[in-house]
Amino acid sequence: MLNIKLLLFFSLLFNSFFIFSQENIHENNLFRNEIKATVIRFKEEVNFNKAASSFLEKNWDSTLVYSMRQIALTKNIKLLDYCHYFRGISFKEKKLINESKNEFGKVSIAFQFNYKVKNNLGEIALEQKDFKKALFYFQQIEKLSDKDSYDIINSIVLHNIGLCYLHLKKIDKAEIYLFKSSKLQEIEKDTLLLIGSYIDLANLYYEQYKDNQAIPYFEKAYHLSKKVKSFELKRVATLNMAAVEENRKNFPLALVYRKEYETWKDSLNDQNKVWAVAQVEKKFAVKQKQKEVDVLAAENKAKIAERNGFLISSVLLLILFGTGVYFYRQKIRNNRIILAQKNELDELNATKDKLFSIVSHDLRSSVNALKTSNGKLMENLENKNFTELDVLLHNNSTIANGAYNLLDNLLNWALLQTKQAYFYQESLHLATIVQHVEYNYKPLMLNANLNFKSDVSKTDYVFADMDSLKIIIRNMLDNAIKFSKENGTISIYSRPSSEEFCYLVIEDTGLGMNETTRQELLKETLLLSKKKNDDIIGTGLGMQLCKSLIRKNGGKLEIESEENVGTKMIIILPKFKNHG
Amino acid sequence: MDNINVLIIEDTVAESDALVKVLTENNYNIVGIARTYQDALTMFYQNTVDIVVIDVFLDGKPDGITFAETINIVPNGVKPFVFLTSSKDRQIFERAKLTRPFSFLMKPFNELEILYALEMAVEKFYEQTNVFHSEDQNTVISNDTLFIKKNKSLKKVKIEDIVYIEVEDRYCNIITDVEKFVILISLTKIIHLLDPAKFCQTHRNYIVNISKIEEIIVNDNLVILKGNHKVTLSDKYKDFVKNFRILK
Repeated sequence: MLNIKLLLFFSLLFNSFFIFSQENIHENNLFRNEIKATVIRFKEEVNFNKAASSFLEKNWDSTLVYSMRQIALTKNIKLLDYCHYFRGISFKEKKLINESKNEFGKVSIAFQFNYKVKNNLGEIALEQKDFKKALFYFQQIEKLSDKDSYDIINSIVLHNIGLCYLHLKKIDKAEIYLFKSSKLQEIEKDTLLLIGSYIDLANLYYEQYKDNQAIPYFEKAYHLSKKVKSFELKRVATLNMAAVEENRKNFPLALVYRKEYETWKDSLNDQNKVWAVAQVEKKFAVKQKQKEVDVLAAENKAKIAERNGFLISSVLLLILFGTGVYFYRQKIRNNRIILAQKNELDELNATKDKLFSIVSHDLRSSVNALKTSNGKLMENLENKNFTELDVLLHNNSTIANGAYNLLDNLLNWALLQTKQAYFYQESLHLATIVQHVEYNYKPLMLNANLNFKSDVSKTDYVFADMDSLKIIIRNMLDNAIKFSKENGTISIYSRPSSEEFCYLVIEDTGLGMNETTRQELLKETLLLSKKKNDDIIGTGLGMQLCKSLIRKNGGKLEIESEENVGTKMIIILPKFKNHG
Repeated sequence: MDNINVLIIEDTVAESDALVKVLTENNYNIVGIARTYQDALTMFYQNTVDIVVIDVFLDGKPDGITFAETINIVPNGVKPFVFLTSSKDRQIFERAKLTRPFSFLMKPFNELEILYALEMAVEKFYEQTNVFHSEDQNTVISNDTLFIKKNKSLKKVKIEDIVYIEVEDRYCNIITDVEKFVILISLTKIIHLLDPAKFCQTHRNYIVNISKIEEIIVNDNLVILKGNHKVTLSDKYKDFVKNFRILK
């Protein structure tokens, strides 16, 4: 008897488990379609849509959440029914049986799939061992025509009713239902369900000690169980067989069944064990992987840090290098500038030294000549040699004049170099200025037996600094006189002016110069030209001064010359444009 | 025509002598030679001076510039002046330049240069530049004097002495109480420069000094001026008569 009880318990457990899984598998299309249709009809109900889709995907938690929101928002009975149904199923799946029961209770009777609700309620009642209630629900379903409930497998309902009767000890009724259900399952060829039904039927008979009726069912169940893969079923069937043989005192066979049972149990256990081991292994592997991942992450982190460090240090190095290069170049440039300045200074110094030596020489010789001449003068005065006196006096005046010019140039040059001279460009009547300068030279040229012609345009106004213009003309006339031969001609005239410039020409019929000298004279160098001929070529200071001054006035100097024919010095000066 | 009165401010006797010599030779009238700043001021305000020649350095100090600055303060008392200097020192020049109008002459200078400098001073002072060296004008007109270049030197005529002006081509005959001479200036220029309250045109060729008019005989188209000068009055210019109160 103990064995039988045990068997029954097993069977019961098996059955309840079995029923739930069946319901899930047979979640049928009609219901799904209906839900989808409802969803389309209530498109705007976002929460319902989400709840329904979650439900169809068997995502129970989200189903609960969204259906709850929908319930709070809507008053549409149909939607409410659906939502409560969703919640009922969800709670049931989550094994919250009481909650599930409440939710199903809330579904209105008008609900299209009310029989499903009842079926579920029945299953819940069965679960809770409230067999009477379960029976009540199942019977209600049974009463429905096949059409109304065709998506519920009849055999399961019948089986469940049979189970209820079995538990309620209404053996005959149980027998009828279980038998019906087994018949149906035979027709449907649902082996799994059939085995369960056979086992239950066998148990039913066995409990009534109708061994003859029971044993064939046990055997049927056993043989069928060999065809299925479910270890659980195999185990139960085998165990039942073992118990039966034991009771029949057929111990060797019982032993065989026991052993088989053990193997199935072991298989089950093994499967479980394998599963557990696999689980552990998986966990371990996952842990290992996690570790690896951690290590890799750490490595990555380290790498990134290293890379960043490298990057930063390289950038820093680059900057350092850049600044280094910059300063180095700056230094080189400075050095170059300094070098250039030094060279320039050296050159200037050389020029200055040369200038001093030449000037001192010239000045000394001039003054010395004057001194000697004065001595002679006094001597002649004592002797009352008046004709000689006249010559000497003229000689003296020439020397003094030369020395004065040299000094004047020197002074002007110094002023120009130190930029201390007052410089103011204004409109000047060229002819008048030329007149002023030549006024001083006329007696000189007369003395030297030189012809002088002056024909400067009276309409030319130049834009120049008066004093520098005078210095330029003075020097040009000086040079012209210096390089002229006896009875030569010096002419000063203007060439027709252009838009921008006036051209003043100082022409002599003197020594002239060759091309090299001409080029050298025009060079914009501060160096003095070499002293070739002591008597004739002077310091070159005058020429330098002229060039600098012309440049400063915005003009140019041109020279046309032919050796032994004469020279034309052409001074080009900017025109004064807005004169009346 | 009178000579131009020149005040010389120069502390070196040799140089002032040379200046005096040149200027007298060219018919300039030397009203005085000041040796110091104080003398200069006294002489400047005691005499009728037309041009001042100022040496920048008096006794080693730039008192010449100080003098120019002093006379510049009184706006109507200023006369044209020329600085004499032997140095082109920029600092001195920058200071001297502030006494506008500014003209200067570098020492040593010759006769032409000093005469030129005086002419330039007058031109710049009365803001009529490029007059004395142009070929179509030889007169600068201030509000009370005509400065006329005659040969190498300048002469002056008081505008109030002019009786009338007769225009002949590019020339103008100036008729004063005592004399008659020709200057080179265009009619448009002279009309522009003369005070319209004192002079008016009576004819295409005549400009008369209103204060010299004795009688206007409209019927004969005649204006009779002081000294019995007779000037034609053309119809075109008769309007000027309206400016007078006519006795009937």
